[in-house]
Formats: sequence, C-alpha cells, structure tokens
Amino acid sequence: MPSRAMSLGARGTSLRLNAGRFLIIGFFVVFVLAPLYWVVVTSIKPSSDYLTVPPVWFPAHPTIVHYTAALFSYRGFQGLINSIIIASAATVLSSIMGTMMAYSLARFNTGGQHLAFWVLSQRFLPPVAIILPIFLLFRSWGLYDTRAGLIFAYTFMTLPLSVWMMYAYFRQLPKSLEDAALVDGLSRWQAFWMVAVPLAAPGVAAAAVFVFIAVWTEFFFALILTSRYAFTLPTIFRAFLGFQGMQYGEACALATTSLAPSIVLGMLVQRHLVRGLTLGALRG
Amino acid sequence: MTHSAAANLSPVSVGKRTAAVSAWADRHFKWLMVAPAALLILIFSIYPLLFSLWVDFVNYDFQIPGHAFVGLQNFVQVVNDPLAWSSLVLTAILSVTVVAIEFVLGLALALAMVKMFRGRGVVLSILIIPLFISPVIVGQSWALFLQRPFGPADYLLGQLLGRPVTISWVGEVPWAYIAIVVADVWQWTPFMFVILLAGLSAIPSHLYEAAELDGVRAAQTFRYVTLPQLAPIILLAITFRLLDAVKLFDVIFMLTGGGPGTATYTMSFYLYQIGFQQFHLSIATAGSWLFLILLSVVIMALVRRLMRAEAA
Amino acid sequence: MTNEREWRDLNAGLSEEVDAWLRGDTSRRTFLKKFMLMGGAAMLPGLGFTAAGSQAWAQAVDISKVELADKATPLGQAQAAAVKASTEGPAEGSAYRAVKAAQAYKDKNVTLNLTYEAGLQALEPKNFSGPLWQALTGVNFNVVELPHPDQYSKPIAEHIANSGAYDVLDIEPAWIPALANGGVIVPIDDYVSKFMNKADLDDYHPLYKSITLYKGKRWGVFDDGDQFALYYRKDIFDDEKLKSAYQAKFGKPFGLPKTWDDYSQIAQFITDQLAPNVYGAAHFRKFGSPGNQFSFLQEFRANGGKFFDGDMKALLAGEAGVTTLNQMIAQNKASLPGNNDLDAVAQWAAWLQGKVAMIFSWPPTGRISSNYAQRDKAINFIPQSSIADKVGYAVLPGGNGEMASGYVKALAAGSNNEEAAYLFMQWVTAPPLSLVRTMLPYTLRDPYRMSTYKSEEYRALWPAAKDYLSNLCECANSGVVDMIMPGWQDYALSIDRMCTAVWGGENPKSALQKAAAEWDATTQRLGGAAQKAAYQEFLQIPGSYADHTIEKLGQAVHVA
Repeated sequence: MPSRAMSLGARGTSLRLNAGRFLIIGFFVVFVLAPLYWVVVTSIKPSSDYLTVPPVWFPAHPTIVHYTAALFSYRGFQGLINSIIIASAATVLSSIMGTMMAYSLARFNTGGQHLAFWVLSQRFLPPVAIILPIFLLFRSWGLYDTRAGLIFAYTFMTLPLSVWMMYAYFRQLPKSLEDAALVDGLSRWQAFWMVAVPLAAPGVAAAAVFVFIAVWTEFFFALILTSRYAFTLPTIFRAFLGFQGMQYGEACALATTSLAPSIVLGMLVQRHLVRGLTLGALRG
Repeated sequence: MTHSAAANLSPVSVGKRTAAVSAWADRHFKWLMVAPAALLILIFSIYPLLFSLWVDFVNYDFQIPGHAFVGLQNFVQVVNDPLAWSSLVLTAILSVTVVAIEFVLGLALALAMVKMFRGRGVVLSILIIPLFISPVIVGQSWALFLQRPFGPADYLLGQLLGRPVTISWVGEVPWAYIAIVVADVWQWTPFMFVILLAGLSAIPSHLYEAAELDGVRAAQTFRYVTLPQLAPIILLAITFRLLDAVKLFDVIFMLTGGGPGTATYTMSFYLYQIGFQQFHLSIATAGSWLFLILLSVVIMALVRRLMRAEAA
Repeated sequence: MTNEREWRDLNAGLSEEVDAWLRGDTSRRTFLKKFMLMGGAAMLPGLGFTAAGSQAWAQAVDISKVELADKATPLGQAQAAAVKASTEGPAEGSAYRAVKAAQAYKDKNVTLNLTYEAGLQALEPKNFSGPLWQALTGVNFNVVELPHPDQYSKPIAEHIANSGAYDVLDIEPAWIPALANGGVIVPIDDYVSKFMNKADLDDYHPLYKSITLYKGKRWGVFDDGDQFALYYRKDIFDDEKLKSAYQAKFGKPFGLPKTWDDYSQIAQFITDQLAPNVYGAAHFRKFGSPGNQFSFLQEFRANGGKFFDGDMKALLAGEAGVTTLNQMIAQNKASLPGNNDLDAVAQWAAWLQGKVAMIFSWPPTGRISSNYAQRDKAINFIPQSSIADKVGYAVLPGGNGEMASGYVKALAAGSNNEEAAYLFMQWVTAPPLSLVRTMLPYTLRDPYRMSTYKSEEYRALWPAAKDYLSNLCECANSGVVDMIMPGWQDYALSIDRMCTAVWGGENPKSALQKAAAEWDATTQRLGGAAQKAAYQEFLQIPGSYADHTIEKLGQAVHVA
C-alpha cells in the first residue's frame, strides 16, 4: 500500500473531519482489542474470579494453571502437535502443487478459462456439500482420523489459494530469463525450478503463510474427519461447550495458544495481505 | 563384468534414455505440471460429489439397516422440512446483512485510514488481527464476552446506559442474531477494510486535484470520483465475502449452537446437525446437493463476472 | 412383476457391492490404499507418525497414581473393601471373577478405550477406577472425554468408519434401542452368564434392574442412578415470618410443594420476599447441557400428558403440553436472574452460594451441598457450600421425578478387546466398586444399588447422608424414565429446541406444534409400525408413566 497521503478533495482538513476520522479509528481499535483482551485475561484468572459481578478486569493473582491444564489434561498438547504437523505438511504440499499448476496456467494458459475457473470455484465450495462422501471415502481408504487424511484434505482445500496467488506472481514475472535458460539447454522443468521459482520466492513464501494460516484455523473438516488421534487445536474447543461450562480458563488458554502463531505469521505477511485475501486478483 | 551387462549402464545410453524421458516431459510439460493438483481436486471434489449422488437416492441412515433405493424420498424429506427452509432463509438474510454492514464499516474505516498519520502502521497491524483468528475462537471469545450474567458486555452496557442490562445474547431472539452479526462483523470487516483501502490508495491523485480545482464538494467527489474508481474492487470484495458468508458455521456452532430453539440454524449448521449429530446421512446429502445447486447459480454469476474483469 | 423383482435384486446386489467396496472387502480398496500410501510415504514424514504415535498417547498409568483414602475414613474403608473384594474374594463375587478372568490379558499390551462425558464426569475413571484396574490386571486404560451429545454421535461415526476406536461406551439407557438397532453396541448376555454373579444383578434398585434389556437381550450394565430429587433450604422453609406471610397471602400453610403449580407459587413467593439475596428456585435451561427435555417430560407426564396416541401421532401440543410449558415459564420467572442461561454446574454454583431456596437436580447436588465433595482439589472450582447443614431432601412435587439420562456401560461393536472390555464393565459396576465410585468426593456417579443405599460407610459421610440416600431410593420408587425407544435422541432434541425457543420468546403453543410435527417426522422416518411396536414395549418398562412406576407396580423398596 503506497504511503502517499491522499486528500479526499476537501479544501484542507477541517477539525471536525479529523475528529470524525479518529473517532472511527479509535472505536475500531477498541472493538478489535476488547474481546481479545478478555480472552487473554480470562486465561490467567484464577477460577474464583470467573463468577463475579462486576467482572474482574485484571486478576489480583494471575496464574498459568489453566495453560498447563489445557495442554496436559485436555490433550491440548496433542492437538497443538497435530496442528503443527498437519498445517506444515499441507503447506508444503499445497505450495508445491499449487506453484506447479500456477506456472503452467500462467505461462501456457493450460486448459484455458475452464480449468482456471474450475480451480477458482473450488474456493467457494461449501465444505458441507462434500463432507459426507469424503467421510465415507476416508473410511474405506483407512484415512479416517489420521493426520495423512487431513493433510490431503487441507491440501485440496488450499489449492485455489496457492494456485491463484502464484498465478498472479508468475504473470508479472518477465519470461526473458526462463527463455534464456531454455536456450541454454535446460529442460522446462529446470527452467521452472531453477529460474522461475527462485525469482518468485517471496510470492511462494507469502502464499505458503496464507495456506498455513488457513489450515491452522480450519474447523469443519477437522471436526468431522478426526476423533481420538488426529484432532487439531480448533476441535478441542468443542469439549468446552458441554455440561461443565466452567472451564473458561482452559478454553481461553487454548485460544491464546492458537491465536499467537497465526497472528505472528499474519503480521509477517502483512504486505501481501490484499493479494492473499483476493487470491492474487488485487495487488494492494 | 560382461560387456553386455555394462553396455546397458554406459553413460551414453543412460544419457539417451534420460534425454528421451526429458524430451517427452518437455513436450507434455504443461499438463504434467497441472496433473498433481488437478488429480487432488478430482479426488476430493468431483469424485465425492458423484458418490454422494448415489447416497442421495438410497437409504443411508444408521438406524435403518441396508441401503435400499428410495427414489426421491430424501429430497422430499428435505423439502418438506420447515427447518430446511428457515435455515435457507436465515442464511440468505444473514449473509447479505453481514456483508452489507462489513462493507459500510470497512469503507468508513478505509476512508478514515487512507490519509497518513503517525502510528498508522501500528493501527493497521492491530486492525487486521481478526483475519488470522480461527472462527471457532471468534465464536468462543464473543460467547464469553456476551455471557450473561458474568461477561463484560452486559456490565459495560449497563454502565453506559446507566441502568442494569441483562440481555441474554445467546438465549433470546433477536439478540442472538445481533450477537452473530457482531461476531462476524468483528472478524471480517478488516477484510473489506484492507481491500477497500488498497483500492482507495490506488486512485490516481490527479483526479482529486482536478475535482478540487473545479470546486467540487467533498460529498460529490466521493460519489462521482471515488466510487466509480472503486467499483471493480467493491465487486471483488463483496463477491468473496458473500460466497464465504453463506457457509457460516463455526461462529454459529460456538456462539449459539443454533439456538434459541432453531432460530440461528444456517444451512451448513442444519446439514451438519442432520448428518453428523443425528446421522440421517442420506437426507443430509440430499440437502447438501440442493444447497450446492442453489449456490452454484450464485457462484457462476459472480465468479464469471470477476474472471472477466480479471482477464481485462 | 418380474421386472420389479429384477430391479429390486439388481439394486440389492448393487448396493451390496458398493457397501462391500466401502467396507473394504474387495481388492480395489487394497490397490487404492497402497497407491495412497506409496505416494504419501514418499512425501510425508508425518504419515508414519499416525500408527506409531497413537500408541504413545494412550494414557500411561502406574500404580502410584492410585490414591486411596486414609483407611480411617469411611471412603478409605470402602476402598479397602473394594480392593479386597477384587483380590481376595468372595470368590463368586463379580469383582473377583472379573479381575481373575482379566489376568489372562496381563502383559498382552491391551488398552481399553472408554468414552466418558467430558469434565467432572471423567475425573472418576482418570483418578480412581482406571488406575486401580490397571494395577489389578495390567490392562491399560484410556479415557476419551466427549461432550454429552457426542457420546451418542461419535460412537456412531466410529462405527460407520469401522475404526474400532472404542471398547466401552458410556451411554444413556434411552439410546440403547437406537444404538442396538444400528449395530453400534452388542449384547452381553453370553458374558454375563459366563462371568457375572447373578445375585449382583438383583442388587439393583428395581427401577434400574431391567432398564438395559431390549428385544429380549441385555445391552449393558447400568452404572449411574441419575434420579432427580428436590433439594431445599430447611432454614427458609422453617422461617416463621415467611410462614405467617404465606398463610396470610394464600390461606394455606407454607411448606414443600405438592404439585408443580405449588412449586412455582412458592418459588415466586420466596423470590418476592427475599430477592436479591435469595430466589425461590433455579433450573438449568441451557441448550444441550444436557438439556431441557428431562424437565419438560417429567412435568408433562405429571400433568397427565401422553407421548403418542393410538396411531403414533405426537400428543405434545395438547393441554398437558401447554400447561407444562406455562408452568416452566412461571418457574423461570420465579428463578434467579440469568436462569435461562444456566447449565447444571452454574445452577449448583448459585445453590451453593445460598442464593436459591429450592432446586431439583441430579444426586451430586446432595453431596456438594454438604461440602463433602469440595474437599478434593480435583473439584475445587465448585464453590464451597455455605448451606451445608441447611439442606433438606424431598421427592419432587407430586412424586414422579425423572431418572434423567443415567448411564449404562455398553460394549462397542467394533471393539478389538471385547472380553477384556466386558470384564472391566463387570468389575467397575460390581457392588463394592459401585459403592466406592459413588462415594468419591469428585464423582458424578450416583447410587443405584440397594447395597449402596444401605451402606454404613456411605451414611457416615455427612450427618444427613442417611436421609439423602433414603430420599434417592424413594424418588426412584416413584420415578419416571426417559422415553426408551429408537429415535430418542431425535425426540429429545426436538424438546430441547422447543424449550429454548420458548425461553427465547416463542409462543408455547406454536413451539409445541412444531415439536409435535418434528416428532411425527421422526416417527415416520423410522417407520410408523416399528415405532408403534417399540412404544408398546416402552409402556411395559417400569417408570414409563406415572401410573406405571415401581411404586404403582407394588415393587417399592425402602431403606430404613
């Protein structure tokens, strides 16, 4: 996003307009931070501070007991490990497959409009439409409740993202270097792997981060396709919904544990945010 | 070491074979490159859809043994279920509502933020945080925040309004709707904001300068300069957001559980409930197909338009 | 006609083929599997993890984790007796026979997977019965915690997925018909005749004796006497000022409610007089926790309501239904603010803090009221009881409290360790173990055996424990049970949703009509004739209606 100031056409900026702007901005900042603050604070509150009116804004005796309970008694640790493994593997797979397809689409216009549209439309496919057959198919392939199964499912889910982000990058890349490589006797694959990809590396990295975040935060597939072994962090929150509604601390501790990596990663790819959100359609 | 055995392994013949493979690979390069991804999509999209077509027409309910052919009965059950209709209607209304609100708020925020000020970078980083959070966590956080009677929301509102507020945000209509809208708006307004901000920043400044020279007032500049320039971007943002909003599930699941009663059942939640809580699998599949058909119409219309704009 | 038959045969054959393929009975599956594995193994290190890693996560338990109470305490005595019964005998006791037979599985690296309700409920197997079983038999133990609705849906999912993930399931007795019909659980008659001491089957309270029987077979062992009882504040009901005020206002003496209308009237009166310090009542009205269906069906039957007519049409929207919902609305009005958002634990918290005059709920209420439960740090997020000596126990207004849910230990169909799983079920519900498990401070398991009601150790836990136990026994005598029929979970869901819709502002009559329509749809889906037969079966079960309770059948038991 360019940092040039943009005037909106008013002659000078009136005090009222400025106040209005900062009011809106200020409201939003508070709006964004309020629930997050509450979650983090609840995660360090002792249980006796839950059922109070007025609410305790900051505990007198903060504690990390909920973190240990969440990680060890509620199998938060296993969920965390699963999430890390699954998200990483899916990211690698999705980036590789996606970059390959994107290159082909960008350079050769493979499959024309139809292939491109088909891949893009997968982005909007409601998971609920395919979840049952996938559930049944996973069962017969022995992939139910396995990390491998989820990895494949997530790779599929994030392919549109990978493909389209890289497509935009490759289209911007001048062909001259690849052509030179071909003239030098490199095969197409080598031209791709050794010339194009390194040049597009920032794009690949950015796409990979978006894929990681998408998989890290996904709930629906994990809810239905996992059970005892391969469950991910988001599915654990389900356990806090039930009869014993009192484990606010553990739920918030898990939430904070899940939030931290994805927010940090998000900050890293801030510059590419618009591209990621719009699948490369916009450059921001 | 016999000569004939070694001949097969000589560098020249190995080189010839690799060269042949290489040449073949080069000729079919573009197809080979799309093959892995296309295969995965086929396996996870086309194939399941075809399989589910079979499930649509048989009995697949765990309480009734066998998979007898039942014709259109599954579809009939879905169409006759008032809950299916209310879920569909709610999905439509909710998604349009949240997208509209997110658009307006996102635009307001973008307009406010487009001008440089000190600390803008930090503020920007804060404002985009919700985009990276799992929707279940969003639902959970708002459930806690809005909890009655120990959550801060009612208390703060009470302080603000000067009288006690005891709204049951997840247990009463229409507050449950408002809670869902608030949670979704919280998470996705930054989406609109970021895209619209990018669009605003890309508008060439000379257009504004010209308008200023002509003495055009701010409101009219906005209407006749800003909006038209922004139009394709608005279309993009709304398309993406709308097609995501109709899938609303995670927040419903964590915040209201579909309640009170069935007031906040969206299509995805309804199908999940029927399929994976009650295990009437064939009915759920029939419902998913109907939903998908309806959605495809919308997707076709919007996405094709988008692609045409993109190709330009 | 031939065409039709051919068509039917073709379909049957085709669906069988596909089913077999889905089940993985043909070679196409092996090919696909190998292909996926080849590709996967080449690409992912994580793939190998799944098989190996899963074993490592099974709970590693060692003998030092079995915390036994001091032998001087009643609990310690009961525990010692349980250990003795398991290791030394009597030789024909179920506990001894189970442990003995389970020795065959020692060192065979068997791990049993049990489903349990998440949270408090799961503390007992994790802290006591699991480690003790492991120490006695060397069979490993893994507790899978699930929210209550998942205790129904997850075993079904695993069954469809053919995963063999669970061995012993904790299920509501009312789910037995659905799960049995669906093949998710298997009958245990053979194992019972082989291993169980028949006298132990007679030790159950009559209400629970035959509750696990369906279609002539036994589908599990009953393990949790979730009988609703009324708990009230003696000090409030003895208060002279309140007594005279009530007499003056209503012209009748102030005392425990005899009918549900009495109940709301008394609750409202107390609220009017004593709010905001004390409110008349509190209920758990939150969706799914485990739900409003129990309260509704209890009062519906007390109001003379019948579930179905002769043609299996739901009769919910009749007069009894409207009366019930109106009563429940009046109850909500007379209750603690935020009543409609309370789950059972929050209800207990309010009760323990002295804010409520009457509640009806599950038996742990009595234990935590007396401050007995709070001793254990496992349960320390439940507030200390400020009303320990002030709690009285009674039957529900008009009798006919619901045995709300309850738990049965059932054998999962896909289990790879059926016999070991059964032996655990038998051991853990044997009289000496059952006594201990219902005596643990943090337990949510409730008494269900006559020997427990009469136990001296239990009665020694707190001064009023004797009255508490005999009250539970009396409540069970006049208790009604959930609707034990195929499709119960669907029927229950409709009721729960209906109630939360009404709390959310919907008109009772239309909510009832909607629920009745959903009931009819469920009945249709399962087959009207089949459901009619199942309903007739249900009518024979003791506790099906208020005129068919254990008491009315002349089988009431009393503990002195």
